[in-house]
Amino acid sequence: MKTLRQIAGALRAFAHASRRWVRMHPWLAVIALLVLCAGLALWWLTRPGRPLGRVDGAWYRSQVNGDLYVGLDPSYPPFAEWTPDGIAGIEADIARELGRRWGVETSILIMGYDALYDALYTGQVDFLIAGLRVDPSRTEWVHYSVPYFDAGQVLVSRRAAPVQSMAELDGGSVAVELASAGDTGAQRWQRRLQALEIVHYLLPQEALDAMRAGQVDAALVDTISARQYADVHPDVVLADTTTVPDRYVIAVRKGDFRMAHEIDQALDAMHEDGTLDAILARWL
Amino acid sequence: MINTVHLPPAFSRRAALFVTLAARLALIVIVLRQLAPAGPHVELGPPRTVITEQPAVCTHTRLTDEVDEWKIQRTLEMVRDMGAATIVEFFPWPYVEPQRGQYDWTHPDRILRHTHNQGLNVLARLGLVPGWARPPTHEKVTTLQYLTADHYDDFAAFAAAFAARYADRIDGVIVWNEPNLSLEWGDRPPDPEGYTELLRTSYRAIKSAVPTMPVYGGALAPTLEPDDSPAAMNEIRFLERMYAAGAADAFDVLAVHTYGFTHSPDHPPDPNTINFRRIELLRGVMQRYGDSDTPMTITESGWSDDPRWTRAVRPGQRIVYTLAALEMVTAWPWVDRLCLWIFRQPLDLHNRRDAYYALVSSDFVIKPVYEAVQAYARGWPNPYAPDEWATP
Repeated sequence: MKTLRQIAGALRAFAHASRRWVRMHPWLAVIALLVLCAGLALWWLTRPGRPLGRVDGAWYRSQVNGDLYVGLDPSYPPFAEWTPDGIAGIEADIARELGRRWGVETSILIMGYDALYDALYTGQVDFLIAGLRVDPSRTEWVHYSVPYFDAGQVLVSRRAAPVQSMAELDGGSVAVELASAGDTGAQRWQRRLQALEIVHYLLPQEALDAMRAGQVDAALVDTISARQYADVHPDVVLADTTTVPDRYVIAVRKGDFRMAHEIDQALDAMHEDGTLDAILARWL
Repeated sequence: MINTVHLPPAFSRRAALFVTLAARLALIVIVLRQLAPAGPHVELGPPRTVITEQPAVCTHTRLTDEVDEWKIQRTLEMVRDMGAATIVEFFPWPYVEPQRGQYDWTHPDRILRHTHNQGLNVLARLGLVPGWARPPTHEKVTTLQYLTADHYDDFAAFAAAFAARYADRIDGVIVWNEPNLSLEWGDRPPDPEGYTELLRTSYRAIKSAVPTMPVYGGALAPTLEPDDSPAAMNEIRFLERMYAAGAADAFDVLAVHTYGFTHSPDHPPDPNTINFRRIELLRGVMQRYGDSDTPMTITESGWSDDPRWTRAVRPGQRIVYTLAALEMVTAWPWVDRLCLWIFRQPLDLHNRRDAYYALVSSDFVIKPVYEAVQAYARGWPNPYAPDEWATP
């Protein structure tokens, strides 16, 4: 309490001295106030995107020219493949949808995976959409968007006996693809639970068949295999979330702050209005 | 009585000033050196030996771009522990001879003292061309693989010097890499006759320096490029033209690269397919040219489990195929080793394809395929053997 009283006393003394100084030097006080206001205005005006601030050249060019250049590796159906009719797949559709929402024409530049980041770095493309995951070693210059797909390991079970989480499998069994991330994830859960039998299969399809035949309670496989399987076998159901996530994101130069912001906003909006789900459902 | 020397006043003042300044400078240098962070200290440790039941198991390491010595040591320790008796490692010519005739052995010395300490056999792959052996850039812009015939002697001299210096530390010299690809031949159309001349020149130089040093030729890349392609030449055609140019006496072992892509290792050889047994087509060329006694070494092979590549397989298939391929090689008396591409990459995500060929991640986390190969080589129970997984 004594300390608080001392601080309050010091503050009162400072306020009193300030008032005295203002009364004695009114013009200096006005000038100081003006300098402070000017400083704040200058700070605000020079923020990125403000009238005197740094301009996002990529976004500006895209809006003025009405174009958008997207880097993509067309070696991964159904996400991106090179068909006689052009580049098709989930990632191509997302790229075109982003262009449509921004009112610009999307041009997809195809390249091998190893060339993607170089193309982004040298400004040949505005962003990359190619099944990329967040790479911590590149975050100094790359902004990664919110995910557009989670390809991670997901539990799949019979619709008659649905399983939502690994915890529900205590005392049960799970089929996994040999040496996959699901295999590793299941082994981790095996140590957490009282009892969990893990049955290995060479391929995810085989693990799913075993689950469907009732040989195991659930299968833990990658989301792409799971969705493709569920598409032709309506008697199986996927858990709502992945057990081992593997999120695909868009990569954009960090300096292109407006582009990065708009991508995140657009992906959120596509998720909200169901566009993203519709694109995924079209291909998976 | 003390004898004193009387110096002129001006001289003694200058001398005193000089001594004082020198002392201060020395003090600053000492202090700054103490402030600099020390690098990780690497101790060689006692000599080790490889314990393996499968001497054909080999892997291609990538220590060329590795800056930290402890990572070199850690990589080689893990190779030894996997039960691989041999590595293939790349030693770029420009690293060693940056100026003509001036050798700097720091880089290979560092790697080979560790391979020697771990008890590993080394097949030294030599390649790339220093700037002084290529045309000046104002005359012609060339790539690091651009070597013209007038510098074959220079390369051969380097190869011979390398063989002589490391005669007790390496088990063979691989002359060049994948010369049937334009990319690896200085962005020029592949030239089997030109490569044969390079191989012959190098062979003579190496043998004159170390007569017992095995010389590996070829290291050809599997490719289905058509005959008129400027990008590459079919490796079977390339080998035929090498033999026609008299290459039979210019190498002791044929180095080959063979990849399975999506095919299992027992997929039958076919000139129109890239698969593991394509190596048998190259063997056929050797037999046709009467070179059946010359052995082959698979210096690159493997399967990728890249989830985003149409030429990749699933992780379990990768293990099964790799083990089956190793087993197949033991039944081929004409193949002495199978070197898996690639043990580890310095950076995981920079080159994605290679990251999924690796046996160990960049941060030294072992992958299931490493465990499977280790169990196979060491004769341990294999957690990934076929009887450990179910069939529907």
